[in-house]
Amino acid sequence: MRANLFIIWSELIKNLKFLLAYPVVFVFWAIFPVFWFVPFILQGEAFVGGLQSQSFAQIAGTPEYIPFIVLGAILNSYVLTSLYGMGESIRREAYRGTLDYILSSPCNKAFILIGKALSESISSTMFAISQLLISILFFGLEMTLGIIMPVILIIILLILGLYGIALVLAAVSLRYKQAHDMAHTLEYVFYLFAPVRYPIEILPIWLQIIGKLLPLTYALIAVRSIMLLKESISFVYMEILALLIIDAIVILIGFYLFNWMEKRTKTSGTISHY
Amino acid sequence: MGNTGKGHKIRETKCPTGFNWTNIKAEFRAIWESNIKAWKLDLAYPVSFVRQCMHPLIFLLPFIIYGLVLIGGRYSEHLEQLIGTGDIVTFLFTGYMIMGFIGTAVWAMGFSIRREQWFGTLESIYVTPTNRLSLVLGMALHSTLHQSMGTAIQFAATYLMFGLTLKIGGLLPALGIFALMMLALYGFGILVSALSLVLKEGWIVAEGLHSIMMILSPVVYPLVVLPTIAQQASAMFPTAPALVGMRALILENYRPELIGNVFLHLFALDLAWILFGIFIFHLTDIYVRKRGSLEKY
Repeated sequence: MRANLFIIWSELIKNLKFLLAYPVVFVFWAIFPVFWFVPFILQGEAFVGGLQSQSFAQIAGTPEYIPFIVLGAILNSYVLTSLYGMGESIRREAYRGTLDYILSSPCNKAFILIGKALSESISSTMFAISQLLISILFFGLEMTLGIIMPVILIIILLILGLYGIALVLAAVSLRYKQAHDMAHTLEYVFYLFAPVRYPIEILPIWLQIIGKLLPLTYALIAVRSIMLLKESISFVYMEILALLIIDAIVILIGFYLFNWMEKRTKTSGTISHY
Repeated sequence: MGNTGKGHKIRETKCPTGFNWTNIKAEFRAIWESNIKAWKLDLAYPVSFVRQCMHPLIFLLPFIIYGLVLIGGRYSEHLEQLIGTGDIVTFLFTGYMIMGFIGTAVWAMGFSIRREQWFGTLESIYVTPTNRLSLVLGMALHSTLHQSMGTAIQFAATYLMFGLTLKIGGLLPALGIFALMMLALYGFGILVSALSLVLKEGWIVAEGLHSIMMILSPVVYPLVVLPTIAQQASAMFPTAPALVGMRALILENYRPELIGNVFLHLFALDLAWILFGIFIFHLTDIYVRKRGSLEKY
């Protein structure tokens, strides 16, 4: 067990060292995602002529579209880092020429993946905190101490689900190499069918079903209920339950698929191909 | 035919130089071949190609759906007060159509040289007797055509899903404005490609410029909602006058937000951005070759 924890720790330290070796990249991810949601705020101002919209309130439950957009963007940044960070981490090892060594090392590969997921989670959270602080300062987002713990719990559940999906992506990239297109396609699915910019109730029923299969949908509904509608955590127990079920399913599928693909790649001798 | 000391014959190649028709023709050929190469690479990955063609539509839809939720329909009274037209779908479509071409300049052109570094072919290209800019312009041609395909899909899908109200008579002069905007964007793309050669993390510059340009251009909102200083800064980029000019020609009842001659404004920006882009490109070209850092990234 100690050896396995050491693997997780080493992977965590390695990835954080990589991150800190490029301070400009670090600053970029901490600040620039804010620029991506500014057009939505200005669009709202141009179309509505104020900071509140009654039409928006009828579907979203809150007339304040700016906090709605800001929270959507911050939680969506976890999607981006999990798909492009964790999902492509195996591909990056292949590019660096270190994948052969990692996969032939005498350890359970699951712990390497846990280390990678943990480091991605820490960096994503650092970026999210920075974006949150900017949003509190410039966009009037409110944050009280009482809601921090429930929000953290929901974010942890979201991260687990997203890394389950990223594991599937890592497994596919191990065998089929081109994970980038799959990551992009998944990003499109999250972008359109999760309530990042708008409530999914505006979409046709059959498209809402796709949205309801995504962990981000439940995390956003729960976080917005707590932060914007001032509801308690017990109010969102159904969303938390849905997140738990999705997490369990995707993590199991992810690990199973990764082990299966690893064996197939080793047999075919194409580990370091890219 | 030349002759070496060992009796081997070396084939001599005539390389046209200087400003003459033969050389210009050769450079056009290099641009065309660079474009063909990019298409071949594109079509070698059909799934990726299809995904990229859908990209403009996928990124436009959230803006439209969000707008529909905000105002509970497709006509915004407040937008009408600001610019004379309240049809948000047509307004957003005409804006986001241009946004894709900003990406063309910043990403496709900007990273044309960087990509050759990744492929390991940059040194081979640099020793060929063609102008370095031909490679960038070939990439510009390819990405403009590629983006046009994406925009055609975007237009067809938006028209079928929501309907668009455009003045057909204004399309031709609007295309003229578009062409002028593209020239300035090419200058901008040449500048980014130069920066990507010297900066290790050039993608940050590209992404940063792309985001800033998106905010300073009237893509999804009119310029009047921006603070005064941002409105003034937007005049430096070709997208602001081009969008205002194009909308004035193709949107019903549109009141232009910028005063002045859009054509003259764009001519001035074309000249400035192309000259500045080529100047910086030559400086970085000399710099990286002197340092021997052509293959480093």
